[in-house]
Amino acid sequence: MTEPEMAVISPLGNETIGARTSAPRPDTLNGKTICEMWNGDFKGNFTFPIIRELLHEQFKDVRIVPYTAFPNSTIRGTPAHQREVDSQMIALAKAQGCDAVIAGNGG
Amino acid sequence: MVRSVVNAERENIPGVAVTIKGFSDAARLAAKADGLANLAIAEYPVAIGIQAPEDIKETVQRSLFAQIVDGLTGAANRAGTEKEATANPDSAVFEGTLDAINQHFAANAWSDGLAIIPPTQERVAAFLRFTDRRPDEIISVLPQANLAATPLNIAANGVMAGCRPEHMPILIAAVQAIGDEHYNLGNIGTTGTLVPYLLINGPIVAQLKIESRGQLISRGPNPSLGRALGLIVRNIAGYRPGRNYLGTFGYQIPFALAENEAESPWPPFHVEQGFDAAQSTVTAGGSMFWGYPPAPHSRPEKSGAQVTLELLCREIYKKTILHCLPEQGPDAFRHMITLLLTPPIAQSLADEGYSKQDVRDYLYENARVTRRELEWHTKFSFAQPMSIEEKVEKGLFPTAYLVGPDEMVRLLPSPDILHLIVCGEPGRNRLMGFHSVYVKPTSKEIELPRNWERLLSEG
Repeated sequence: MTEPEMAVISPLGNETIGARTSAPRPDTLNGKTICEMWNGDFKGNFTFPIIRELLHEQFKDVRIVPYTAFPNSTIRGTPAHQREVDSQMIALAKAQGCDAVIAGNGG
Repeated sequence: MVRSVVNAERENIPGVAVTIKGFSDAARLAAKADGLANLAIAEYPVAIGIQAPEDIKETVQRSLFAQIVDGLTGAANRAGTEKEATANPDSAVFEGTLDAINQHFAANAWSDGLAIIPPTQERVAAFLRFTDRRPDEIISVLPQANLAATPLNIAANGVMAGCRPEHMPILIAAVQAIGDEHYNLGNIGTTGTLVPYLLINGPIVAQLKIESRGQLISRGPNPSLGRALGLIVRNIAGYRPGRNYLGTFGYQIPFALAENEAESPWPPFHVEQGFDAAQSTVTAGGSMFWGYPPAPHSRPEKSGAQVTLELLCREIYKKTILHCLPEQGPDAFRHMITLLLTPPIAQSLADEGYSKQDVRDYLYENARVTRRELEWHTKFSFAQPMSIEEKVEKGLFPTAYLVGPDEMVRLLPSPDILHLIVCGEPGRNRLMGFHSVYVKPTSKEIELPRNWERLLSEG
């Protein structure tokens, strides 16, 4: 028996956001200001200090702004609250002259 | 966390996201949904939560650090832009036999593991007759993927789930509900496992024979409606199990409830939300649990209503996530607890003078736990450990929680996180509670097409 063939349409949603390219990368982190941004999760309080130590070892003139200088990014509260915290973090980073961001930990 | 990198990159500041193994795909998809095609990722290769400090140091030195430097300075980790085929929405995306279509949809993760009804143009067109909206009208843009839901793709998912064309107005209202920011669809990918559900109220329940009585989530059109919600969350919101929908042990198929308004002694849920009883509504909710429905029994020393209230307190204790449940304030986790009561249970409470609000108030006051037990959870059952004192200091718990270890403290932050639904087998005295973090119940009116009655009569 030959089964009939059918044409079907896509169940996927339609794209609404165009893709953007990443920011240009520096050749080295030497002399750069790096901001740590923590979400309060997955033991960033352990990993960030180790990363900080290694950065200072490898890049003598690097400046680190620790995660304690920022509020934690959050999945708590309303989406509006989450966005407000994000805005505060990026404003603080810009005020610190941030050249690069390390954000963690998780997904 | 990904948002921090996306926001930095928007300001032309390079960023790298430190992910834990298993989360990298979710991070890439979240960044892509915000327009950042090539997220720089440094992946921590093991479950850090159970590692000792010395092992963490070794892992950062051996594996993580070089990825971070590469992510900030080079091209590493930013290769590969994911582009899922969205196709011309109203043209054929595939042609084949029933088996071939099912294989194609499964291979693309467009189906939920069960066989689907093929969304042919004819079947989709039948659904579109049940809305006055244009097929390409944007009903909502759904996080996490930020893709647009239209009547066309909503209908395609409804067809796939086995819904009937007359369910289309319910599906559109369901999309409006989960797309409302109040619902917070963007945070449902949690490893804690969140299953969305639908609650249907109003005259449409009887009109479309939606089940509100015994075994309701498994009878009538309810399973198809729930499944359609799940497919919409998958295909339009973009949540894919194992990629950005990370429930640790997987998901039940989303389910659909309807309130048994005829046998309830109380105003129905949608009237409590400010709708008229004659309006039909869909409410989107969430569940992280489904389980045993205990049965309260009256005894000479306690009425059925009193036993019910005491059992509900225990149900709240058993089926909730204790470490954050009492939190308050803008930085608190959001909660909703759904309580399903059969008609005899609701009647026993009403007969003793309890309204739904009275029940909520009773449970708020009496659902309690010892501080010692609550603090065990705040310290050990969540990635961010906190003592009760720290919770109070951060403004998450009120000072009333600063009591002795064996004193009882409230479980609930407020009565209004409790949502009572009368449904289920009318001959049984059973109840069930389930809890969800992140989402809040969100109700939308079901808009019927102008020629609804005629279309139904033709059906």
